[in-house]
Amino acid sequence: MNKPFSPGEAAEDQTGRFLVQPNGRVRPLSPHLQVWRWHVTMLASILNRMTGGALYAGALVVAAWLLALAFGPETYAAFAAIAASPFGLAVWIGLSFSLFCHLAGGVRHLIWDAGAGLTPSAASALSWLSIGFGVLATVLFWAALFLTGRVAL
Amino acid sequence: MSGHQKTFRNRVKVSERHGAGEWTAERLSALALAPLGLWGAWAGFELAGGGYAGALAWLAQPVNSTLLVLTLLVSFWHMNMGFKVIVEDYIHRPATRGLLLGLSGLLCLVLSAASVFFIVRLALGSAPLPAGFGA
Repeated sequence: MNKPFSPGEAAEDQTGRFLVQPNGRVRPLSPHLQVWRWHVTMLASILNRMTGGALYAGALVVAAWLLALAFGPETYAAFAAIAASPFGLAVWIGLSFSLFCHLAGGVRHLIWDAGAGLTPSAASALSWLSIGFGVLATVLFWAALFLTGRVAL
Repeated sequence: MSGHQKTFRNRVKVSERHGAGEWTAERLSALALAPLGLWGAWAGFELAGGGYAGALAWLAQPVNSTLLVLTLLVSFWHMNMGFKVIVEDYIHRPATRGLLLGLSGLLCLVLSAASVFFIVRLALGSAPLPAGFGA
């Protein structure tokens, strides 16, 4: 029946976390991230969500770039000053990594959605591949930018 | 679910609501964004260090302005759907959830309209804003 919550139950519960159900009953929350052994598919999934969120902010930066361009040279100079600062550079590096990582992660998910690569070893391999592509593409992208002199510190 | 008629295709129940459509839309936009995203990285490479004049010259090329409009519109659509997935995972209060989804949808619509407006002006070589709007 509807047992009221007592502190004694918390000690026996594995999670120690409780949720008040809409009907007023207190029930233990199912275990979350901390009980699972880390696995590369987890990492790739979390990275895909985080980079996707970062790219939401990145789209705002691109829109701000267009706005600055449309308002003429003075407005653009203000944008460029921030964009070329060390802070701006860090943001661009983060955004480029997010782009490459999320792009590869998206392709990985499309492969999985097509029903391929779903055995544990294949899923892990695809996860490693997508993360590796994200890191490698970012390094090459910035090496090319610095070597061609388009970006300088 | 009494108001919905259950239909089957290849012995698989067809979605009664719009969930399956959203799933397909997420994948379709992702499929489109794979090449467009790579092009976006290339565009960033071309634009880096080019300054104001370089950006204007780049946008004056119809290929670039067209692909940029396409990339941004699909991106805003895709990121609104992605934001919805995240909000539905973590925000459980219906009012907060609805507010966040509404705000994101509105933001993406405003971003779409503003981006197309700016790109068209820049591609056509219009005078800097606020020209044409009282200045």
